[in-house]
Amino acid sequence: MSTPAKRRLMRDFKRMQQDAPSGVSASPLPDNVMTWNAVIIGPSDTPFEDGTFKLILQFDEQYPNKPPTVKFISEMFHPNVYASGELCLDILQNRWSPTYDVSSILTSIQSLLNDPNISSPANVEAANLYKDHRSQYIKRVRETVENSWNDDDDDDEDEDEEDEE
Amino acid sequence: MKVEIVDWQAVASWHWDLKDDSITDELCGICRVAFDGTCPNCKYPGNECPLILGAGCQHNFHLHCILQWLEQDTSKGLCPMCRQVFEFRKDFNTVTKDINSLLMLIDGHKSMRDREVDEEFDSFDDDLRMND
Repeated sequence: MSTPAKRRLMRDFKRMQQDAPSGVSASPLPDNVMTWNAVIIGPSDTPFEDGTFKLILQFDEQYPNKPPTVKFISEMFHPNVYASGELCLDILQNRWSPTYDVSSILTSIQSLLNDPNISSPANVEAANLYKDHRSQYIKRVRETVENSWNDDDDDDEDEDEEDEE
Repeated sequence: MKVEIVDWQAVASWHWDLKDDSITDELCGICRVAFDGTCPNCKYPGNECPLILGAGCQHNFHLHCILQWLEQDTSKGLCPMCRQVFEFRKDFNTVTKDINSLLMLIDGHKSMRDREVDEEFDSFDDDLRMND
């Protein structure tokens, strides 16, 4: 059944396919357009460089009037990401606007990586290291970057079968 | 030559009749469908779902798209594009039920904002009294 939310998500998908912002990719599950898998590549010249951080976006029928719930699946060490992977980002809460789409959500999260908001930390340890011991902070982030390359064992999304006739 | 019409199908295209034609080529920022297309809640285009033209700001939306956004308390009555208080041009031939709902929602958000300002002033007054 097609609903306004699903139709909008199909438009988001088309936009992701036609002009995806650099360093992010996302697609809905083949059997459920309300759940999306996404990957954000850590921006270059930041401690997150080359990380392949996976996320899951869960939409409901209120989209785009309500934001999706967004969660990192990959382990993160960032002042605004909770241990559960959920993130604290104003545009996903009280500053949401129905003009945002999957592409702009992921771009915002990508820029949050190297521009954390220290005033209301979700991960106090990460916030403290970021403020007072930057080299240790970078070391911890680099560990998560390395781990991000390993945690795609359980899904075979990169399995490119070339079955062309 | 004798031509016999066996079957025919009428095809029509339609277009919003606006003074500024460039608007209708744009997409609604909420549903991302062209203004000359229908909003995702409508099957057919027409006066049931007219374009709502921003009056304070210059942002335009399908009626049902902006209506559903302003139904959210979290919208605070603001334009989803620029976060200014949303107002619209009211030059409609017929004012439908949905246009009335939109007017009521905008009024509701306005009185909500006024109340918040009043409360702020009240607590400010209380602070002053305490300092006296």
